[in-house]
Amino acid sequence: MTPAAAQLESPCISLRGVGVTFEARGATVRAISGVSLDVADGEFIALLGPTGCGKSTLLRVVSDLQRPSEGTVAVRGGSAAQARRRNEFGFVFQEAALLPWRSALQNVRLPLEVVDFPAQGRDERCVELLRSVGLEKFRDAYPAELSGGMKQRVSIVRALSWNPSILLMDEPFSALDELTKNQLQDDLLGIWGREKKTVLFVTHNIAEAVYLADRVVVMSAHPGEIKTVIHITLPRQRAPDVRDTLEFVEHVRAARAALRA
Amino acid sequence: MSSALRSSLERFGPPVLIMLLILGTWEAAVKMLGIARWLLPAPSAIAMRFVRTEDLWYHTGLTLLEAGTGFAISAVLGIALAAGIANSRFLERGLFPYVIVSNAIPIISIVPLLNIWLGFGIATKIVIAAIITFFPIVTNTTRGLKAADARILDLMHSINATRRQVFFKVQLPSALPFIFAGFKIAASLSLVGAVVGEFYGADRGLGFLVITAATQLRTDLLFVAIFVLAAIGVLTFSFFGWLERRSTRGALEVDRE
Repeated sequence: MTPAAAQLESPCISLRGVGVTFEARGATVRAISGVSLDVADGEFIALLGPTGCGKSTLLRVVSDLQRPSEGTVAVRGGSAAQARRRNEFGFVFQEAALLPWRSALQNVRLPLEVVDFPAQGRDERCVELLRSVGLEKFRDAYPAELSGGMKQRVSIVRALSWNPSILLMDEPFSALDELTKNQLQDDLLGIWGREKKTVLFVTHNIAEAVYLADRVVVMSAHPGEIKTVIHITLPRQRAPDVRDTLEFVEHVRAARAALRA
Repeated sequence: MSSALRSSLERFGPPVLIMLLILGTWEAAVKMLGIARWLLPAPSAIAMRFVRTEDLWYHTGLTLLEAGTGFAISAVLGIALAAGIANSRFLERGLFPYVIVSNAIPIISIVPLLNIWLGFGIATKIVIAAIITFFPIVTNTTRGLKAADARILDLMHSINATRRQVFFKVQLPSALPFIFAGFKIAASLSLVGAVVGEFYGADRGLGFLVITAATQLRTDLLFVAIFVLAAIGVLTFSFFGWLERRSTRGALEVDRE
């Protein structure tokens, strides 16, 4: 068992020996293999690894969108399927993945039209969420009229709209410029601090993983396996200039070394 | 000069000018070379025939009814079938070969068969228009439904959306530009279908007008029928092109509750 499977009393997410193989044109591709990991309630986990290491597949396995070929997945003591039926998972994707024919507000409202949410409270909830990320003036703007950072903000509050307990974020900031990325990282930490979500954050950016996470899970590719797990011992109240500290640099160096190993 | 006027002049000025030039040359050539009326009537003669053909609108209306009804039937069935194909591997494998076959059969070859089954009335023409438009509608709609963002589909499944919700909130709106592109092609084809149907034993419709005008060497009437058909084709094509552009910009709303 990897050190990732730390001894947690009642983990929010618990993976045991999870592997996924795909059949593609006669060939068998092992996307992930032997992944064991316990994630505590309210913990911020970064999944760090090169492209093609099965990080996205792991998110789909946790949320019951992909059945594991081997191993078990437990979410809050039950199965992933049960957690999905309780609408526990909020997804955020790279490049926002908004519906172009819906305004910002209507995009945020999409999940509320699907999950059990009182119809008359929907728009109010969406306006409140857009205000929390400074976009109340853009409620009627279409995605084509929004900048990349704005779109990603809309996408984040869309994932928060019905208040799911677990956020699954698939390289959400990788397409953004450096300044916007840093701003959104701080926004995300603010939201995480306020709302106590459990976060699985997929990234291939080492500094981003270290800045955001409680623990960085370093993965290798082909097949995707957990190489090591790095506990980030930086104080939890993180400000942008923590990046200049020696401790931060040490963590980044450790993560880079683990990636290369 | 206002900018709106100027921009529409810039857009429509050149084609109108070219048209006037062609018509002018045509008219002058016919007059000066003394070309026989049955061979090539002058534009002015065609215009006179257009005004004087009193039952033109009756024939036009009938052909439009046949083409439009066939098109509508094909649109409803085609979109329903595409929804099945896009959401089921079984239906895709089982039905798609036959959709391709429906396109491979030369439509003209089955008109006599339809005449035996359905007679020489309006029903045959409607069926022909429906068959000929089926392929572009099904293929374009299927492609559009499959073009829905896989991440949004994941998002919808992760919150237990029903098939119905996924279809109406995500798949169908994503497919709209493709559907209208298919309609654009199908609209002209439906007209072809109706006219071809009228060639084989009909006593009314623009196709009938074309055949009778040709056999009687009433070439001016033939031109009138051709121009009316062309005008309908251009109008429907532009209409669906306009819908396609609007839906691409996201200005059409189909997923409201």
